[in-house]
Amino acid sequence: MNYARKVDARAKLDGSCKFLDDYSYPGMIHGYICYARFHHGIIRKIIFPSDFNLSEFVIVDYKDVPGSNIVPEPEKDQPFLAEKEILHWGQIILGIAHPDRELLKKFISKIQVEYSNLPALIDMHECLDDEQNIFGKEITIDHRLGLTIDPSWIRTRGIYYTPHQEQAYMETQGMIAIYDPDASSMFIRGTMQCPYFVKAAVEAIMGKTVAETVVETSEGIGGAFGGKEDFPNIIAGIAALLSYKSKKPVKIVLDRSDDIIITTKRHPSRVEIETFTNPAQKTIEKMTIDYRLDAGAYQTLSPVVLARGVLHSFGAYQVKDVFVRGRLLRSNTPPNGAFRGFGAPQAVFAIESHIDKIAAQLDLDPYDFKKINLLHSGSQMPTTQKIIDDHISDCLERVIANSDYQRKKDEFAIYNQQNRDKKGIGLAVCFHGGGYTGNGEKVLRSKVRLRIEKDARIRIFVVNTDMGQGAYTTLAQMVAESLDHPLELTSMELPNTSRAPDSGPTVASRTIYIVGNLLRELALDIKKSLAGSSLSTYVKTNPEMFPRDYFREFSPDPSVTFDEESFRGTGYRDYSWAAAVCEIKFHASTYHIEIRKFWNVLDIGRPVNIGIACGQVQGGNVQAFGYALTEFFQKKKFGRMHGFTDYTVPLSYDIPEIFLEFIHTDSPLAKGLGEIPMDYPAAAVRNAFHNATGIFIDEIPLTPERIFNQLRNQK
Amino acid sequence: MKINFLINGNKQVLDVDPMRRLLDIIREDLQLPGTKESCGEGECGACTILLNGEPVTSCLLNAVHADGKEIQTVEYIAQQPLGKLLIDCYDETNAVQCGFCFPGFLIASYHYLKNDGEPSLEKIRYALSGNICRCTGYTKIFESVLLACQRLQAGKV
Ligand code: FES
Ligand code: FES
Repeated sequence: MNYARKVDARAKLDGSCKFLDDYSYPGMIHGYICYARFHHGIIRKIIFPSDFNLSEFVIVDYKDVPGSNIVPEPEKDQPFLAEKEILHWGQIILGIAHPDRELLKKFISKIQVEYSNLPALIDMHECLDDEQNIFGKEITIDHRLGLTIDPSWIRTRGIYYTPHQEQAYMETQGMIAIYDPDASSMFIRGTMQCPYFVKAAVEAIMGKTVAETVVETSEGIGGAFGGKEDFPNIIAGIAALLSYKSKKPVKIVLDRSDDIIITTKRHPSRVEIETFTNPAQKTIEKMTIDYRLDAGAYQTLSPVVLARGVLHSFGAYQVKDVFVRGRLLRSNTPPNGAFRGFGAPQAVFAIESHIDKIAAQLDLDPYDFKKINLLHSGSQMPTTQKIIDDHISDCLERVIANSDYQRKKDEFAIYNQQNRDKKGIGLAVCFHGGGYTGNGEKVLRSKVRLRIEKDARIRIFVVNTDMGQGAYTTLAQMVAESLDHPLELTSMELPNTSRAPDSGPTVASRTIYIVGNLLRELALDIKKSLAGSSLSTYVKTNPEMFPRDYFREFSPDPSVTFDEESFRGTGYRDYSWAAAVCEIKFHASTYHIEIRKFWNVLDIGRPVNIGIACGQVQGGNVQAFGYALTEFFQKKKFGRMHGFTDYTVPLSYDIPEIFLEFIHTDSPLAKGLGEIPMDYPAAAVRNAFHNATGIFIDEIPLTPERIFNQLRNQK
Repeated sequence: MKINFLINGNKQVLDVDPMRRLLDIIREDLQLPGTKESCGEGECGACTILLNGEPVTSCLLNAVHADGKEIQTVEYIAQQPLGKLLIDCYDETNAVQCGFCFPGFLIASYHYLKNDGEPSLEKIRYALSGNICRCTGYTKIFESVLLACQRLQAGKV
């Protein structure tokens, strides 16, 4: 069974699926936030508009916080509500509630914040180029062998930049908080990825005033991509505070422009790579990487993004002598956070662009050069982790064959001699580590619960949310399959912290890979206990045993170790692998790149649901096309964006033909998939542009303006 | 101001602020939450409805625009034969991810199927160009609409 229709699809099509803004409770009022609207400064005074009746509004600031004003997850450095200093334009100062949503917004738009201005750093280049802005701990991977550089070796150097990227989930952030004074309880419903993070945040801000906090997601979660990993903590905290103060249910749903202005984004990066290549052997002998991320105003998730970034920065290559240094830098932009790929897309863009550059210097086809240097079974990453298969080479060979790479390349060379418009073909390969980095899963120790009812229905209790990636379906499939039970009798419950144990956050391509496999092990254990009969028969013949709950906790493999100081050991227990070919056409009159075709070959182990898996690849690819070509924040507009008018995501007519193939699908293990399709396309597009024009551009997005300037500079 | 209109086949008379957004009237006053708001500025198509049979973004319209008109929302379209055909096709291909955009896509593709229906990828792309989907990469959406067009042509409806 590796195909099943998504269990929630029809309700999402006919409009009956409830997203957060579709919930309403008796007596519910609307909440919203008031944020700074300046980049850096000290708040002096807040002036409320005089033409409103202030007593109608429920207003909370940091002084109303009964517990701690610091968001507990992930890095403890960000306040829920600003106290004195403002570090970024979208920093929230007040929570405000009123029964009338329109009146509330009018009121908030007229609030004036007086402040004294401080110098602000909002330009990503200024931030990333200045080592003075260093923020938090640096990471190094030191696998230097002290090689002396042979004079014949070819030196290649490049500095690669990537911009902010907005998650642009179609459903904006939203939370409902319901405080019950009699029970001293707080119920939170929201659109989120990590219910237990939200629970911890609400417990922190409410302190001892609330005895019990329960968090449940909305039925539908309208996209997340990492953007609903840590930001929901803040609005959940503020909604809880407003509900506590007003004693009414409070709903906060952000407008698109505010969502874009204040929420987390993908980290801008600057990655500098220097390599030395042996021209006779065509092998990379030595590589030095300086990987930097613009963390934004607070660290929050950045240290973990940095860790994943450096562990993907050296690429899928075997290099003898490697030194990687990873650093975070501070700026006055919203704290950057999780976004599909989590530091890897930046790393892969840099290394895959760089490999193309080396190949060009050696006058080799990137395919031939990659083939020589790829990781293979028995080779070692700079972390000393041993590679156990040749799946990356298999991906590369398949994608070369599927795309007819060689023939196209020759054909385009001829076309380009005869035409002003240019055609190009580009290549990229990469890996993506599944689950939390290093010892993360060991620390998390995810727990899952299954319940078998009297009528042999199986209910799955986990807190991994279905934000569109299909968890409701795939997790149920994994359990049903393992128990040979009908899928119709197996279902995942709405994630709720009072019913489901902490199965960990819905991040890091871990839902199927960690939580699904844990459920599978549990289901297989149950199956063993059935003494050969089917579950339905067993339940019928032993009715006194049911309903019954089963639990399982993740037990780490003791042979898997990782040293957090030296970054040596097993960065990730299992890697997914991918190779891609991109075909573009460069329109010489408009300086516009058209992506025409895109081929993916991936090893994700066993795809649980082939239809869902294809959708993940296509969706990830297209987000990456936007990253490669159009998506960025104009400096002067930071804090003044509207929405999709000035942040342009791919539309229906931008979409190329996307081909994909999964290989090594007979593996028993289902590995991570959610993120990898986002990692490699930007580099493949950039390399195709190089193939088309002979020009290297080391920064995305490849907008017509950027291409125009680069061409002008070269002339 | 009093406005009169036909919504999903039912007559409605409402006494509202003429500048109240049509989207809010549909979602809040008439309790039809299938129509979604994502951008609120006419860019994404999540709030698409049919106004006198034409797809429009209800976040940009006000109460006055509905006066004397006929409105159809996803709740109604989903029950029509062509709506059901589309739902089957989207469902079969596992096209739906988060689903937030899909009520809008259903309306836009319903309008295409009803008024043209040629199984042409280029035409479908154009018909859906007012709708943003951030999850799916559109590929399966095109596939589903093509499938619906083919079934309609083959008379399988
Ligand atoms: S909400 Fe109306 S077009 Fe986006
Ligand atoms: S399915 Fe999520 S936006 Fe389209």
